[in-house]
Amino acid sequence: MFCVSCGTPILEEQNFCGKCGQTVKRPAPPSRPAAVPAAVPAGARCNWCGADADLSQSACPHCGATLKLPAAAAESGWTKLPARKDMAKLQIGNSSCQIEGQYVPVADMNLAAGDSVYFTHHVLLWRDPQVNVTSMSLKGAWKRMFAGLPLIMTQAEGPGHIAFSKDDPGELIPVALQPGQSIDVREHMLLAATSTVTYDWFQTGIWFSTKNGDDTETHYPVGCYMDRFTSARTPGLLLLHAGGNVFVRNLAPGQTILVKPTALVFKDPTVGMQLHFEHPGAQVAFWRSWGNRYLWLRLTGPGRVAIQSVFERLEGESRNISQWSNATTTRW
Amino acid sequence: MIEPADSPAVEPFERIQCQWCQGMNEKAALACRACGAPLDIRNLISESGWREAPRIRDMTEIQFSSSTCQVEGEIVPVAEINLGPGDSVFFEHHVMLWKEERVAMSVMQLAGGLKRAFAGMPFIISVAAGPGRIAFSRDATGELIVLPVHPGMELDVREHAFLLSSHQIAYSFVRIKGLSNILFGGQGMYMDRFVTTSAAGVLILHGYGNVFERRLGPGESIMVEPGAFLYKDSSVTMNVEFQKLGTGFFGGTKMSLAKMTGPGRVGIQSMYVHHNTE
Repeated sequence: MFCVSCGTPILEEQNFCGKCGQTVKRPAPPSRPAAVPAAVPAGARCNWCGADADLSQSACPHCGATLKLPAAAAESGWTKLPARKDMAKLQIGNSSCQIEGQYVPVADMNLAAGDSVYFTHHVLLWRDPQVNVTSMSLKGAWKRMFAGLPLIMTQAEGPGHIAFSKDDPGELIPVALQPGQSIDVREHMLLAATSTVTYDWFQTGIWFSTKNGDDTETHYPVGCYMDRFTSARTPGLLLLHAGGNVFVRNLAPGQTILVKPTALVFKDPTVGMQLHFEHPGAQVAFWRSWGNRYLWLRLTGPGRVAIQSVFERLEGESRNISQWSNATTTRW
Repeated sequence: MIEPADSPAVEPFERIQCQWCQGMNEKAALACRACGAPLDIRNLISESGWREAPRIRDMTEIQFSSSTCQVEGEIVPVAEINLGPGDSVFFEHHVMLWKEERVAMSVMQLAGGLKRAFAGMPFIISVAAGPGRIAFSRDATGELIVLPVHPGMELDVREHAFLLSSHQIAYSFVRIKGLSNILFGGQGMYMDRFVTTSAAGVLILHGYGNVFERRLGPGESIMVEPGAFLYKDSSVTMNVEFQKLGTGFFGGTKMSLAKMTGPGRVGIQSMYVHHNTE
């Protein structure tokens, strides 16, 4: 614990700061559950995460979205991530998380005793010395190594502060998971998750192989594996980081949209994925007609999907594709 | 802020002129219909004469022929087009972010395509035809520059910098003249050239970082880092010149800068790869 006025470390038994004399205000004992407003007005919900929210507050305590502003929705149905005031604070049980900065945002967690988060070690920006950091073993290490996924997750246990950032201009996406809720996230998007969220992964089944002479190369436009995060019994918080701006939309059952595969950020498990090839019309047939073919990911509702406006260059798109997972084709 | 009009009486024909593109707008408009520039913010011009490209507000709508374009996001902005029937836009296909299935796709045949393929330029320009929605973004932080192009205008643009253009504009490319311009110009052999013939159209560029523009008078020159060059009126000439930087030892080093000479507009970007100091 630290003095609120000069930042000097304070021992458990001290009532005044030894350096500046400031009275020590102790936080409420952590055993008490976080204050939940007794009566939430009917229909007061956060537009973004769906959690009950007290409209007298300016920001949703679960995801930090500004409550009083209408969502910035494009006419096409995509909604921008909700406006979030700099320094917005989210509450997760007894711990909290403050999101700082708007260009390359930082997630600054204040972990209560006994609460923990996990993350991949390269996103750690700083931590208090007393925060205990251990490694977390993951099942299927071999398969993960081959798939290029992080082998080791790091776990940090409170009490204390720990902060995370990714070295890219972009947006931080807090996803509040209600008990029983799952979400599928493209690999390398995770910044940190509370330990109440279980982490699993599955094969995307989206691939194609290109052939060049005797060389065959298999490409995974949305990754070989996708992460699935589930909150079992208690609500959890997932912090994702995406490049550029992030847009979200809800697809109705059967509704489809074509997106650049490498722009996908997350989707509800109910949303289906499929490859789609599109051949543009041309007056002359090219002998190398695949050179100008577009490769799309078709997302089919029902469910929520999110994309980012910065994406990696898709590899192999304009080469000789010899085999592919279940796909459709349009020739204009 | 725009100063209130002198006469308080409501004048039905009162218009506001956009300071960025000179388009005329209704008095109540907050952003220019033609280029999206906020109308209630004064032009930002540095003492040296560079004008900052207007930051387009999030979700601003721009209209061209029977289509609209919405600019979304402020870190890596997305241009989302709602194409009207009969309208189309062209672009390099890797900038497509998402589309509706019904938007028809074709390719534009270009003269000299093979030469360009060898020069590393996109061999093929893709065309999307309405009706339907399609969205574009480029892979880096920066700004979208909306340039309404009127009949008779000719613009030269750094290769790969254009995000999309409406179908009224004719696309071609010009070879950059002079070996030293190619080798040290920091932008390859070709520049994209956009020419409007009869109808007005819109050209949307993506600049890395921030974008600044200045208008050079006839014969007026400015030296710019070749990697920062983004666009110019075709009346502006560009020549790479070398500057010797002596270190006192041996030969020192040479630095190349592009000399742009007016009349016309020059646009530069603040984030660039620094090329060939030699």
